[in-house]
Amino acid sequence: MAALRALGWGLFFLAIWELLARVSAQDVLLSGPSDIAVHISGNVGLLARATLETSINAMWGFVWGNLGAVLLGAVIMLVPRSERTLLALALLVFCVPLIASGPILRVLFGTGTGPQVTLGALAVYYTTLLTFLIGLRSVSQNWTDLMRIYGRGALSTLIRVRARASLPYLFVGLQISAPAAFLGAMIGEFTGAERGLGVLTLRAMRGLDTDATWTLALVAALIAMAAYTVLGWLGQRVVGYRPVVLLSAPASSGPRTPWAALAEIGFIVFLVLILWQASMDVFELNRFFAKRPGDVWTFVMEPQNRSTLLSALGETLAFAAPGYVAGLALGAGLAVLLVLSPRLSTAAMPVAVALRAVPIITTAPLLVLAFGRGLVGTMVVVAVMIFFPTFVACQQGLRQTPGQIVDVFRSYGAGRWHVLRAAQVPAMLPAFFASARMAVPAALLAVTTVEWLATGKGIGVLMAMTASTSNYNMLWSCVVVLAIVATAVYGIVAGIERAVLRIYASEQVT
Amino acid sequence: MTQPAHLTRRFFLQTSAAAGMATAAAGVPAFAATSVNFQLSWLHSVQFGGSYIAASKGYWSDLGLDVSLSQGGPNAPVEPPVVSGTALVGISAADYTAAAVAQGAPFKIIAVAMQKNPFAIASLAGNPVNTPADLIGKRIGMAVANTPVLQALCTLNDIDINDIDIVPTQYDPAPLVSGQVDCLLCWETDLPVAMTVQGVDNTTMLMADHGYALHSQTYIATEDALANRRADLVALLKGEVMGWNDYLADTDAAAALAVEMFPDAGLDLEAQKLQAARQVPLMFSDLTAENGFGWFTDETVASNIETLALLGQDVSADLWDRSLLEEVHG
Repeated sequence: MAALRALGWGLFFLAIWELLARVSAQDVLLSGPSDIAVHISGNVGLLARATLETSINAMWGFVWGNLGAVLLGAVIMLVPRSERTLLALALLVFCVPLIASGPILRVLFGTGTGPQVTLGALAVYYTTLLTFLIGLRSVSQNWTDLMRIYGRGALSTLIRVRARASLPYLFVGLQISAPAAFLGAMIGEFTGAERGLGVLTLRAMRGLDTDATWTLALVAALIAMAAYTVLGWLGQRVVGYRPVVLLSAPASSGPRTPWAALAEIGFIVFLVLILWQASMDVFELNRFFAKRPGDVWTFVMEPQNRSTLLSALGETLAFAAPGYVAGLALGAGLAVLLVLSPRLSTAAMPVAVALRAVPIITTAPLLVLAFGRGLVGTMVVVAVMIFFPTFVACQQGLRQTPGQIVDVFRSYGAGRWHVLRAAQVPAMLPAFFASARMAVPAALLAVTTVEWLATGKGIGVLMAMTASTSNYNMLWSCVVVLAIVATAVYGIVAGIERAVLRIYASEQVT
Repeated sequence: MTQPAHLTRRFFLQTSAAAGMATAAAGVPAFAATSVNFQLSWLHSVQFGGSYIAASKGYWSDLGLDVSLSQGGPNAPVEPPVVSGTALVGISAADYTAAAVAQGAPFKIIAVAMQKNPFAIASLAGNPVNTPADLIGKRIGMAVANTPVLQALCTLNDIDINDIDIVPTQYDPAPLVSGQVDCLLCWETDLPVAMTVQGVDNTTMLMADHGYALHSQTYIATEDALANRRADLVALLKGEVMGWNDYLADTDAAAALAVEMFPDAGLDLEAQKLQAARQVPLMFSDLTAENGFGWFTDETVASNIETLALLGQDVSADLWDRSLLEEVHG
């Protein structure tokens, strides 16, 4: 019965789509299902080869990126003092845009698939790391106390208690990262790859081949959905139980003095500068395009460069902030909506995965056409680009609501809204804040992409200009500015998070 | 994790087979070939048709070179691999090269494939832009990064750029066809060709016909390569010249070769044929008929320097170095 209904909805959706494509005067922007079917039947071999190529690269990126995330998470649990430093480094690496990393990857890897795999890995490690960390912490204090009483150390606790507790969250991380890895591998092909879906997408868009563009978007979306579904199924099979989250007393972390905080920031900055300089020196990357900290410092010391940079930053932030808030609201709102009305889930979930999996260069023109090149258009595109991890993480958070608590509410006859407000939303908060943090760099990267594609303002344009001006000093200064802003906003969000979680989910506050 | 590129492998087989035949006849040992990386400026297409001919007919392997053609892409700028030495030669344009030199890259322009700049204003036949004056009051879709190009065209033709409404778009014909803009700043040989092939009646105004004199698809190499790898550079250019001469003789064959060599690139034969034909007037002129493919003179360099000045770039004639071409054609 349910399957029949899903089929019915699917057919209805296809019919609407076909109708829209038929009546739309803008037939260069929209292709219907029948056009796509014709295109596929005429290009089976080409599409299959490209799909295989991109999928293999995405899979390796997925493996490496998530492996890295799991290792980093384990190190953080074993050496808690390293947490801030490692998370800061992870955030900063995530902040480097493709326009800066692309040439470096291509020079390092040559003509192989290295850049695509690396981009795939970079697209996933950060979101997995943050979700995995929540999982590692979602342990009742009774358990950690018990381990301590038996004289077991951090490693033992990690393997016997935390690893198990982290599984549901780890699988959420893996699920979120599947579409991201695919998209990363596709975008990685923009660095000069010979084949793959990303290469074909570029060709189709420039060739005004709307049917091909939509076919490629559909293929990308279907693969991402399949990976997402398989991982979800696998997660349920592997985890097989509903983890019980028990609320416990706040861990007593000593108050940090402002001086200690300042010293820590100083240490991280120092470390970043050393790593930046050293990694470029070790690989002997040419100073022409791989700028060192000293080059950027000299560049931004020029008042004229600084003012160009700062005014562009102002334009970027004015667009990024509303997009960021809208993306988070959209993600969390959709998750809550699906809890209130689970039936919508069958329709909403594929759309959400598809929006995430289709490269922004395909969707952005449509969104820009619909919402304009101004604030609203930018906001919508940024929101679409970042809402997905928030949505999935919040959904998982909502599911984690301890069953006993919901039962208590139910037995007193509390309504859906009441349960939501008093039990489910508080249970969702750790996941929500984790995604709010991971959305910070994502929102900045998203807004710079939109600036380059549609608004022609801000940091995104300064960076895009590098292609013709070779002004890599400006590019790397933009990277530094974005990294500083991302870290600062991340810090602010983390501060709010601590204040809120101290009340609602104290096991997460270390 | 990294697998050898299919293309390179095929190239190797093709070129080594050709080299084997050539050297069997000439009696020269086959293992002497020098590996060289040639960085193209964009995705594979007949835009680089002459190079494909040189590769497939074994012109380079006859000259002792094993050339890998690396394609470009939106995030694959040409300058970094050439500066780093991972590519011996790159395809650039005079303005890009001048900017890179101003940023400290030791580049020289050693040959010029496009004598006429390919930048054009494309518009729909129903609302055409045929002269620069037609731009007034129109909405033009372009990358904001190209504003200096439009500014130069305006200065050359006494037009106030503020009378034109610049709409930032991605490099795609869709905004024009869907009516979001009235015209596009694009290449003569890509977006207009796509529109024609898709049955959209369009017209183009070549900027080069209105004073915008700027060499494009230029061959660049570092000063270090010019000093230490002259023989390889000369051989590479020789192969290019032979390939492009064949291209001129039969552009349809060049288009078919591009489609055949890159089955995974999604190339459309009709579009490639049209693009190949449209490239001819940009690449071949009386100058090249007289002196050979890739040629430039003090006069063409001087007019380039004037255009570059309009783009805000102060360049001397030292940016160009014709000595290799003179060896090639000499």
